[in-house]
Amino acid sequence: MLTRRKFVQAAGVAGAAWIGARGRENAVWNLLEPGLEAQAAAPAGPIIPLSSNENPLGPPKAVIDAIQKAFGPAGAAPGRYSGGAGPLIEALAKQHGVQPANIVLGCGSTQILRSATHLFTARTKAMVGTIPTYEECAGYADMMGNPVRAIPLDSEFNVDLDRMADAARGSGLVFFCNPNNPVATYVGASATRDFLARVNRISPETTILVDEAYFDYVTNPDHATHIPAAVEDPRILVARTFSKAYGMAGLRMGYAVGHVDTIKKMADFDGGSGTSSLNVLAMAGGLAAVQMDGSFVKGERDRNTAARDFTMKWFADRGMKPTASQANFMFINIGRPAKEFREACLAKGVRVARDFPPFEKTHCRISIGTMDEMQKATKVFGEVLGKASATHAA
Amino acid sequence: MPVSRRGFLSLVGSGASRSEVGALLAARGHEAYQAAAQQGQQAGQGQGGRAGGGGRAARPPLPEGVEEIKISSNENPLGPGKTVLDAIIGQFDEAGRYPFNSNPGEGKLVETIAALHKAKPENVVLGAGSQEILKTAIRGFTTPFRPLVTGAPTFENCTGLARRMGHPVFEVKVDSQFKINLEDMLAVVRGAGLVFLNNPNNPTATVHGLKTVTDFVERVRRISPDTVILIDEAYHEYVTDPDYATAMPLALSTPNVFVARTFSKAYGMAGMRIGYAVGQVDTVKPLARLRMPYGISVLGVAAGIAALNDPKHIEAERARNTEVRKFTVKALEDLGCKPTVSNGNFLFVDIGRPARVMRDACAKSYVQIGRDFPPFEGSHARISLGTMAEMQKAVAVFRDVLRPVMPAGGGR
Repeated sequence: MLTRRKFVQAAGVAGAAWIGARGRENAVWNLLEPGLEAQAAAPAGPIIPLSSNENPLGPPKAVIDAIQKAFGPAGAAPGRYSGGAGPLIEALAKQHGVQPANIVLGCGSTQILRSATHLFTARTKAMVGTIPTYEECAGYADMMGNPVRAIPLDSEFNVDLDRMADAARGSGLVFFCNPNNPVATYVGASATRDFLARVNRISPETTILVDEAYFDYVTNPDHATHIPAAVEDPRILVARTFSKAYGMAGLRMGYAVGHVDTIKKMADFDGGSGTSSLNVLAMAGGLAAVQMDGSFVKGERDRNTAARDFTMKWFADRGMKPTASQANFMFINIGRPAKEFREACLAKGVRVARDFPPFEKTHCRISIGTMDEMQKATKVFGEVLGKASATHAA
Repeated sequence: MPVSRRGFLSLVGSGASRSEVGALLAARGHEAYQAAAQQGQQAGQGQGGRAGGGGRAARPPLPEGVEEIKISSNENPLGPGKTVLDAIIGQFDEAGRYPFNSNPGEGKLVETIAALHKAKPENVVLGAGSQEILKTAIRGFTTPFRPLVTGAPTFENCTGLARRMGHPVFEVKVDSQFKINLEDMLAVVRGAGLVFLNNPNNPTATVHGLKTVTDFVERVRRISPDTVILIDEAYHEYVTDPDYATAMPLALSTPNVFVARTFSKAYGMAGMRIGYAVGQVDTVKPLARLRMPYGISVLGVAAGIAALNDPKHIEAERARNTEVRKFTVKALEDLGCKPTVSNGNFLFVDIGRPARVMRDACAKSYVQIGRDFPPFEGSHARISLGTMAEMQKAVAVFRDVLRPVMPAGGGR
């Protein structure tokens, strides 16, 4: 039996680690947080952006067409406040087989994660997540002065479900990002269901936020959404986003699905209308995306899987082991500091991701671009990694 | 809590005000939702209308050939204009990129705003509409022990959120000219966390000149140096009063003062959700920390930059609004109504009867005017300014609606 003391870090210590890990990729934030690494200079010319887990092809044409149509007669419609989120919420409800009252929209899933953190953590109710994971919840909890418990991953970079469940006891919010950013690993549907039930049992007051941002990229056959559990249980909430497979990161649209009581709390937190942060073009685009048949997402998954397989093999062939990626990015032991690799790649026109402590000395996160981009990028990786830097190898 | 006991002050946030909190919950969405809520619609999730439809879709469908005139939410009826729409279209290729990766990126919008106000990028904080700025200010600067001091009536976002959070609120009734009553604010400002000064003031449309605002800021800082002052200049571009000027330089030179601006009004982008705050770095830092990261879409970023680089468009929009405003003021005065001196794209008008009576009657002719604004809901209506063509049609409706009861020459 693992003791809590060994694996659950106290707020202050974990907080510092999260702050270091947060790097919120935000220009304004960086300006106000001079401690964060300054952006290295990029060369002139096109950059292959493999740093933010975006869909390299952007949204489908139907989304762009819907946005342009949303300009309205004489282009006046963007001058009006949104009339509400009704049609998009109804379409999402239909897609997921739930009621509209089970859904709240957010300005990207970022807003969902923040609202949940605000509502479900407190000075005496910690936020629990793996380290590393997507930092929005931990960063925000820490900013509010609420404790954060950072739970190490297992040796394969999977969520250590025993440790997580143990740490969840008495906590306010468990953030369960699956597939997990930045490490790309995935916990199967049955194991996740067991984990949710276990946390509910041993810590009945704890809310679990299952972030399914990369849901559409999973190829593991043991795969299912946890929306059905969320709709039934007020302590489980699922976050989704249009930023990944739908290629709409720039439009800022995400949502949460859950029990009506939990959704009401979320909606009330940022305003009962739920639309004050949502732009009308993203709502129109989101609606068009949801109304498409499933072939777009399947096509995007297949495209990503092919580019992922190619890139994984490229690294594996060179003795650098990526984790078992089920997402549109990889986490790879490159045997040297991510910063060194990143700066060398950027100088050659490829931008890979920032540091992810505590693995910034050995691992790098690389998003999956198009096959063409990955073929070009691996040439650059070969040039950069081929250079002698054994002194830095782990 | 010690409160000046004059009748026009109300201290809210105690247990006695719970029913008011409920009312505010229903009313707290943005303008269109407030209007919808007042019409008996549920302002909750999933009840709204078409995206971009202006919140009226739950109403009965319009007869064929009839166009609704929406003069209820102080929007620019023409939208953002071709330059901005072209910039949005030009950004479609970046829709898949986060706003910190897109070209132009979020940082470029910040730089453009900073240059416009002769500030540094670190003086600027973006928000998903100025509503995010206002909400963040409440979260950052008020506490259960540090009240909000605000006008009555004024834009209620701050009031509503402070109440929901259980933070005390001093609502100071406007003066006899319907201006924000700065003297009465000073009487309660000691120890306040935040003063909200909407200038011009929505819904009363009045404005204070720069000297008055500067004097007020100095006196607040003498009485209560730790109090933060938020000057909301949402309607800045529509002001024609020669005594008025922006408080931007004041904010940049004075600790604990910041200005909020929005692209939702003259810039015609209410649906795009872009606003910002400008102040000294230490003043706006809490806003930057609490703000939602990258909450403005890449389309909004491009639109905002294009709009700021097209000042002639805003000059034309101000001239257009001023002409429509003159026409509408005169028409209402001819009907015996008394508008306040408006420096916005809306009028606050003494119609001599409850706003609801006029609103319901106008709605029957497909003209949507503003909701109730207590404590003046028994006598005043807020009417936004549409296009000249829209206002000519609206005035014809007003004539029908107001004539039967309005005594000639007197609205009071």
